Amino acid sequence: MKNNGKDVVLRLEKITKSFGGLMALNGVDLSVEQGQIVGLIGPNGAGKTTLFNVVTSLYKPDKGDVYLAGKKITGKPSHQLCHLGISRTFQLVKTFLSLTAFKNVLIGAIYGHGMRGRQAREEALEALRLVGLADKKEVVTAHMTLSDRRLLEVARALAAKPLITLVDEPMAGLNPSEIINMLKVIKRARNERNVAILWVEHKVDAIFRLCDRVAVLDYGRKIAEGKPEEIAQNKKVIEAYLGKPPP
Amino acid sequence: MLQEPLKRKTHLSIALALVFFFVIYPLLVDAEASYLVFLFYTAFMYVTLSQGWNIAAGYAGQVSLGQHAFFGIGCYVTAITWRAGTAGYLDPLAMLMSGAGAAVVAIVVGLPLLAKLRGDYFALGTLGLGEILRVAALNGGSFTEGAAGISIPSDVYQSIKPYYFIALLISVLTMLSLWFIAHSRIGLALVAIREDETAASANGIPILRYKILAFTLGAFVTGLCGSLNAYFVFHIDTTGAFNLNWVIMPILMVILGGVGTFVGPVLGVFSLIAAFELIRLLTPQLHPIFSGAFIILVTLFLPDGIMSYLTGHKNRLLHKLSPFKWLALNK
Ligand SMILES: Nc1ncnc2c1ncn2[C@@H]1O[C@H](COP(=O)(O)OP(=O)(O)OP(=O)(O)O)[C@@H](O)[C@H]1O
Ligand SMILES: [Mg+2]
Repeated sequence: MKNNGKDVVLRLEKITKSFGGLMALNGVDLSVEQGQIVGLIGPNGAGKTTLFNVVTSLYKPDKGDVYLAGKKITGKPSHQLCHLGISRTFQLVKTFLSLTAFKNVLIGAIYGHGMRGRQAREEALEALRLVGLADKKEVVTAHMTLSDRRLLEVARALAAKPLITLVDEPMAGLNPSEIINMLKVIKRARNERNVAILWVEHKVDAIFRLCDRVAVLDYGRKIAEGKPEEIAQNKKVIEAYLGKPPP
Repeated sequence: MLQEPLKRKTHLSIALALVFFFVIYPLLVDAEASYLVFLFYTAFMYVTLSQGWNIAAGYAGQVSLGQHAFFGIGCYVTAITWRAGTAGYLDPLAMLMSGAGAAVVAIVVGLPLLAKLRGDYFALGTLGLGEILRVAALNGGSFTEGAAGISIPSDVYQSIKPYYFIALLISVLTMLSLWFIAHSRIGLALVAIREDETAASANGIPILRYKILAFTLGAFVTGLCGSLNAYFVFHIDTTGAFNLNWVIMPILMVILGGVGTFVGPVLGVFSLIAAFELIRLLTPQLHPIFSGAFIILVTLFLPDGIMSYLTGHKNRLLHKLSPFKWLALNK
């Protein structure tokens, strides 16, 4: 499916998900084109992580559908989605702690993409190099810093050679220099791999600097979507973040 | 490990030397009268049982408390096929069928349990399996001969040597299989599942398939041991076949040696057998109390097992596995 001449990689159609009485997502539409970086922002509890969890089938949506490269993939098991081209990172980092950095990424190459033998090892090294962890490849993940683990998750997600990767707050808990480094890595990932990136982040300035488009969630609804400069001016968005100004 | 080919060569030499020793030992002594030959036979059985538990629990993080179910199935398949005349004495085909029987039950029971239950509940479910099968065998009518059990004419027995060598062979094959699995892409998937299921499946690992694989392989080798045991005791009843010892002892041995390690369980088997023998020699009356205390002390204060003193790796894996998590409170 084309949109302004570019392929739409991921398209969400009216995604609705509630937990008991709480509507975590309410009719969310979103699409991401090939090679695009799309930012997804919104206050705490807006439903950003829930949206990722619905896309990767950790949760089943109550309503709505997910399309990958035009094919409906709603509810397919997580591991199949990874084969089909969706990889992700986690807000609360999930690395395989007892394994080395290299083996973590190797899992992405072998199981995420289906590579074997030397090809898989080369891809794993290449992904580690891309995030700048090549010289730490033999370090056991349990001994790595939070920043390195977040980079490692990005490398593992890229080693699966996805069409799109979903990154959930890759900068949370990082210091300013680590944040600058992460920014470079995300940019490099897009430029070298031409992978689409859907990026949840609270560091709004970073989002505005790098994203092609930004979508804003608030209480499970998409309240705005557009170019970063438009979103920065959007009244609804400012209200969602700062609260309504007194009349 | 890969950058230490020398070390690997040393390990291989030690392993070969040990196997060589075990192969010639019963030929050098009067095997029928030697208590040590019997102890070694027991140790080989426990090596297999321990690794059968370790592959699912230690590597894949799926703690089964139902290994005695698979052992019992192995016992009964062998006893029943023998009684029916389908299998002979120490018949390899009957042994394979016993392993396969256990494996089939592991798949049938594992599919729903592993798909639906996490952690503690999987452990409880498997514990239930052992009890259900024990009661089923008790009420199996002429098929299992109920509480009386199935007796097999013992006049075919000639020597302990065939048992010894078969047990040794099974344990060596189990160790070899585990080594290849642990160093292959399968081993990588199992450890990933143990470390983080959600991340494993998000990274393309079909977690249910691999959990079932580990659980089933463990059941298969446990069933083999059950079969050999049936040939050894010549009388199979529910209390012997589905005895909780067949699950408790392997777990203790693995924990003592080092859960989720390759060599640890072997060290655990030999140390625990040695320790129990010593205690038994010194104070026959106090045996159960001593061994009970010993077990509790080990699980509390040596969670990384003997292996951690050799390798220096202390990852507290035991305290991260589901039914053992409460132990971490004591630290
Ligand atoms: N498994 C769950 N069960 C019940 N409620 C949930 C569950 N997951 C999320 N929620 C609720 O859904 C809402 C959206 O949560 P979500 O984690 O998606 O927010 P978020 O936008 O990622 O927030 P943050 O920026 O803090 O990470 C919250 O109110 C949260 O409490
Ligand atoms: Mg979140």
